[in-house]
Amino acid sequence: MKCPIQIAVIATVALAAAGITWSVKGPPNRKLLCDTTTLKADEVCLQQIPERMEVVWVDARPRKDWEKNGVKGSMLWNLDPAEDMQEFEAEAAVRIAAIPRVIVYCSDENCGVSRQVAERIRKMDLGAEVSVLRGGWRALSEAKRTKDSKP
Amino acid sequence: MKWPGKIAVIAAVALAAAGITWSIKGPPARKLLLDAATLKADEVSLRQIPKITQAGLDFPEIRKEVHAAPDVNIVTTDFEFTNKSDKPVSVIKYDAACSCMAVSIKDSKLRYAPGESGVVRTEFNMGNFSGEVDKTATLWLDGDPEDKPSLVLTVHVVIPELVSLEPKTVKWEVNEAPTPKTVHIKINHSEPIHVLSVTSTNELYTQQLKTVEDGKTYELIVTPLDVKTPSLGIMRLVTDSKIKRFQTQMAFTQVLKPRLADASK
Repeated sequence: MKCPIQIAVIATVALAAAGITWSVKGPPNRKLLCDTTTLKADEVCLQQIPERMEVVWVDARPRKDWEKNGVKGSMLWNLDPAEDMQEFEAEAAVRIAAIPRVIVYCSDENCGVSRQVAERIRKMDLGAEVSVLRGGWRALSEAKRTKDSKP
Repeated sequence: MKWPGKIAVIAAVALAAAGITWSIKGPPARKLLLDAATLKADEVSLRQIPKITQAGLDFPEIRKEVHAAPDVNIVTTDFEFTNKSDKPVSVIKYDAACSCMAVSIKDSKLRYAPGESGVVRTEFNMGNFSGEVDKTATLWLDGDPEDKPSLVLTVHVVIPELVSLEPKTVKWEVNEAPTPKTVHIKINHSEPIHVLSVTSTNELYTQQLKTVEDGKTYELIVTPLDVKTPSLGIMRLVTDSKIKRFQTQMAFTQVLKPRLADASK
């Protein structure tokens, strides 16, 4: 057998093995997994928030990201110096008076802004239960719970 | 080609493929991976403890506390280091965990001979952050895999709140006696800051501003006119602070259903 044929045989065998593995084990799992046992005290997994649950969603990402796409009905509250914190506080107060459950999300799980915003909402002392969403925007996108998601 | 030769060719091709994969994707991750984001309150990941000896660069401090001046927007923190190993050490990458922080190395120098010193500079844009904040910068040295940087430098920034309101919200339960309640306003600054005015969005509450010590301490006494139904009031305080973010403050008034009032106590 000549060399090119041997390489073709090897590649075919390798591809077949990969295909069988894929079909038996399924595609590689690249989705964000949220383990409730590893949550910090102020965190929540998206699977703990049913879609119909009444929640004030607070988007801690930059305004342009929120305007482009966010959770339906969400309000913006980031720490951008150009933003008016008092406006955010006032809007949050009005919303919390109606729904005393707040979940703050950020761009990803390493974003500390959501935790800062959550702390500010707690300091308002309006009696709301305030949590930070583990996985942030990525978790919402993967679960298709964003405005532009298609079922 | 005879069989031993063929096997050798196959083995060489397989080894080359494995080598290329290794060089692109890095070595297989067989080690325990601990994501700092999943740590419980009392846990620490070994990655958060710097491997100073292994890294070769000696940082006298990898965590610094900075008390920011109230009128600054950028907090600059320098982390000095020295290569105390017997071979050159290169910084291959550095990054900050937040877009609010910039990281740089003095003179953009990335390679340090034994005994040579350098400085990592972090610049934290305080934006509208307040209270106490931890911000980190990460350094990858020679041979560090993408997910295992050698060093994590932490800046603990204490941001002053020149005007504090306590409590931020005054509450009554539905049908509770409409007795006046007080928001204590304290100025935490060397210079006086005066509360110039208070306005409310809701006419169901009256408010009276009392000066305890001019420019230092005030009391805002609030009384609800109706406690029969739930309501919310937003009070806006205007001060003469020279720093913009302390020029307005908010306080809230609430008449709550008993269940919500219990939850918020």
